Amino acid sequence: MKIVSNVLENIDGIQVFYIIGLLIFVTLFLVILIRTIKRPNKEISDIKNSILKDDDSDEINRVCL
Amino acid sequence: MSKHMENQKFYYDNKIVKLFVIATIVWGVVGVLVGLLIALQLAIPGFNFDLEFTSFGRVRPVHTNAIIFAFVGNAIFAGVYYSMQKLLKARMFSDMLSKIHFWGWQSIIVLAALTLVLGMTTGKEYAELEWPIDILIAVIWVIFGWNMIGTIVKRRVQHIYAAIWWYLATFLGIAILHIVNSFEIPISLFKSYSIYAGAQDAVVQWWYGHNAVAFFLTTPFLGLMYYYLPKAAGRPIYSYKLSIIHFWSLIFLYMWAGPHHLLYQALPDWAQALGVTFSIMLIAPSWGGMINGLLTLRGAWDRVRDSAVLKFFVVAVTAYGMSTFEGPMMSLKSVNQITHFTDWTIAHTHIAGMAWNGGFIFGMLYWIIPRIFRTELFSKKLANTHFWIATTSILIYAIPLYWAAVTQWLMLKEYTPEGFLAYPNFLETLSQILPLYYIRIVGGAMYVIGFLLMTYNLFKTMAKGSVENNEASEAPALVLQGERNPVRETIHRWMERKVVKFSIAVFVALAIGGAVEIIPMIFVKSNVPVIESVTPYTPLELTGRDIYVKEGCYTCHSQMVRPFRWETDRYGEYSKIGEFVYDHPFQWGSRRTGPDLARAGLIGGSMYKNAAWHYNHFMDPQKMNEQSIMPKYDWFAEKDINLDLVPKKIKAMQTLGVPYADGFSDDAVEELLWQAQLIVDDLKASGIEIEPTKQMVAMIAYLHKMGKDIAAPIPAPVVSEDEPAHVEEPAAGDEEPRTTKEDEPGDPDVYREANKVETSEEKQH
Repeated sequence: MKIVSNVLENIDGIQVFYIIGLLIFVTLFLVILIRTIKRPNKEISDIKNSILKDDDSDEINRVCL
Repeated sequence: MSKHMENQKFYYDNKIVKLFVIATIVWGVVGVLVGLLIALQLAIPGFNFDLEFTSFGRVRPVHTNAIIFAFVGNAIFAGVYYSMQKLLKARMFSDMLSKIHFWGWQSIIVLAALTLVLGMTTGKEYAELEWPIDILIAVIWVIFGWNMIGTIVKRRVQHIYAAIWWYLATFLGIAILHIVNSFEIPISLFKSYSIYAGAQDAVVQWWYGHNAVAFFLTTPFLGLMYYYLPKAAGRPIYSYKLSIIHFWSLIFLYMWAGPHHLLYQALPDWAQALGVTFSIMLIAPSWGGMINGLLTLRGAWDRVRDSAVLKFFVVAVTAYGMSTFEGPMMSLKSVNQITHFTDWTIAHTHIAGMAWNGGFIFGMLYWIIPRIFRTELFSKKLANTHFWIATTSILIYAIPLYWAAVTQWLMLKEYTPEGFLAYPNFLETLSQILPLYYIRIVGGAMYVIGFLLMTYNLFKTMAKGSVENNEASEAPALVLQGERNPVRETIHRWMERKVVKFSIAVFVALAIGGAVEIIPMIFVKSNVPVIESVTPYTPLELTGRDIYVKEGCYTCHSQMVRPFRWETDRYGEYSKIGEFVYDHPFQWGSRRTGPDLARAGLIGGSMYKNAAWHYNHFMDPQKMNEQSIMPKYDWFAEKDINLDLVPKKIKAMQTLGVPYADGFSDDAVEELLWQAQLIVDDLKASGIEIEPTKQMVAMIAYLHKMGKDIAAPIPAPVVSEDEPAHVEEPAAGDEEPRTTKEDEPGDPDVYREANKVETSEEKQH
């Protein structure tokens, strides 16, 4: 009994998967990069600073460091 | 449509954070103490205490599992449970799931410690735990994810902050890795065989192993960094845009880096090339994380001076940057030639583990505990002392090991002017670096002392405060924004709102890397060229192999001769991929504290030792080699093998595709005893009395099998009037018996013509 199937047993040029993977990565990377750079800075700044505006008071920050 | 958004009152669950924090500290102490023990064992073999339960091969996985899953694991959960609730302005989805997660995880740890010292192990690094515990891990992990995703769904904050992407990636990554790598066939409650074999197992194992580093030791910590560093510094993250880009890049690229553990080994070139390429590319997103972390402190560096928390964070992030540069450099084949199998790997992992993971956890604990216990830290001075001790100790730990690695490599590859190895005996190189192992002990001991200082400090802090188990807060309910407005919202922004779709995208990114590397290895036969003379293990050899796995021999010995002259001159012909097709699991090893054993069975080869030598060596290694640090294995002469399991082992192997003859499991025990008697007779001729069912006999049989098949004659079909109806494939049973001069008494090859094909009446003694 063979646990794994018989599909893909005779594929030549397996290196094409390597190239496909690289292409997917590079494409996505460029898309994400361009879209991210284009995002408005105000929006980004709001998100970044949101973490400093949650429940913890400044007093605790000073006390506990 | 306007909504008047009323504040909803809710309570943060601090109790679960407290529980995980305490577990982190307790298991951390255990983990570093066990680490100190094994460091001692590597310099002074007496610290093995001559007991099977405390021998290095069994205890080393206790250290790695305790540090990774118990210490780091609980720390991740503590950090995640605290930060997630705050970031999402919501209590954890289910208190019941939180509790099951906590107690389930601690049960896993206890079971791990018990089973590992008892020798119940799969023999795969960082995945040693046997199948019942693997199932438990999967269940508890799903519960963790369920709790997390449920919390995200019921959040009161629109945007899912960066830290949570990292937590999600951690959950998904580990889920995929654990499940795929843990596919195994059980033969008893605590013994199973990996469904993968040889090179395929190696690829799956190191896809898992490296990505355990990625998704257990890196992504959760980057997530924690994105929360705790800004909070501690009082500054926002340097570049949120950078966090988006390096997140997607990192989780995609990391999954491909696994083969960098297998360079110059019996793996197809294309697979090695993938590992190298993607490992180098990984520098960029990793450093994106480091840059984001360090530059967050712009304008706040004066706060570092007075804060142990920030000091630890700075060292942690810096060490992260160093390690994520060093790692890719070690992935270059020319560098890997030097570093693989040496202490360089140990230095690398410990800088990352002690400084990045350990350092970050220390900072996080010093920040969280005063907070949830609503009191000041017991002693800031002690915390700063801990910082200096820890940082110094890491240097004292790592620098000797780098020195040892280079020294050992230079010795191993040195030739005399006549063209012979200058140090033909591996042990000479070990003796040379032993003094450096003593220094490593000092470094490790210092780290332990710092850890204990922290433990004292934190428990004193807890004692003078109290946790508010349910911390009140309020926030308006989330207004679902509905469809994406392309004018106001990018696809990514929209995805950030949609946790399930986001998770699926993360999953796809992760899966691509694994699929591209693993599927061709498993399915494409041409990637594993068959060697006709390689035969499956006999029942006795298989039993011996299982003892090798059980005792963790792979933690010191490799079975992989690389294609360098200075390696083949020492160990014999380099290892071919086809030699390992029946190895469930593979045992190529990661470290040579002792010599490579790949050709230990090749009679006349440089690594061959006869049965009597092995007997005496197992009984007391220091008697055979005075400077050896190998533990004693004298119980091999006392303990019996389990004959009841033998037929089950053969059947399991047949299921996995190993070409034993049909019905062979019925004859397996008889076969085993017959082969064992040959070894017993051989030992008797040397004056050693032993029964055939002792573990020692099985171990000798296994060692005598290793690596000799490629030198065996290619079998010619044997026509005999007694030939049974079902004939085995070529190479499995039709071999002519060896009749060369090299045959020694007790050589099991003599019986091979009877093995697997003929019935017992036709066997000739």
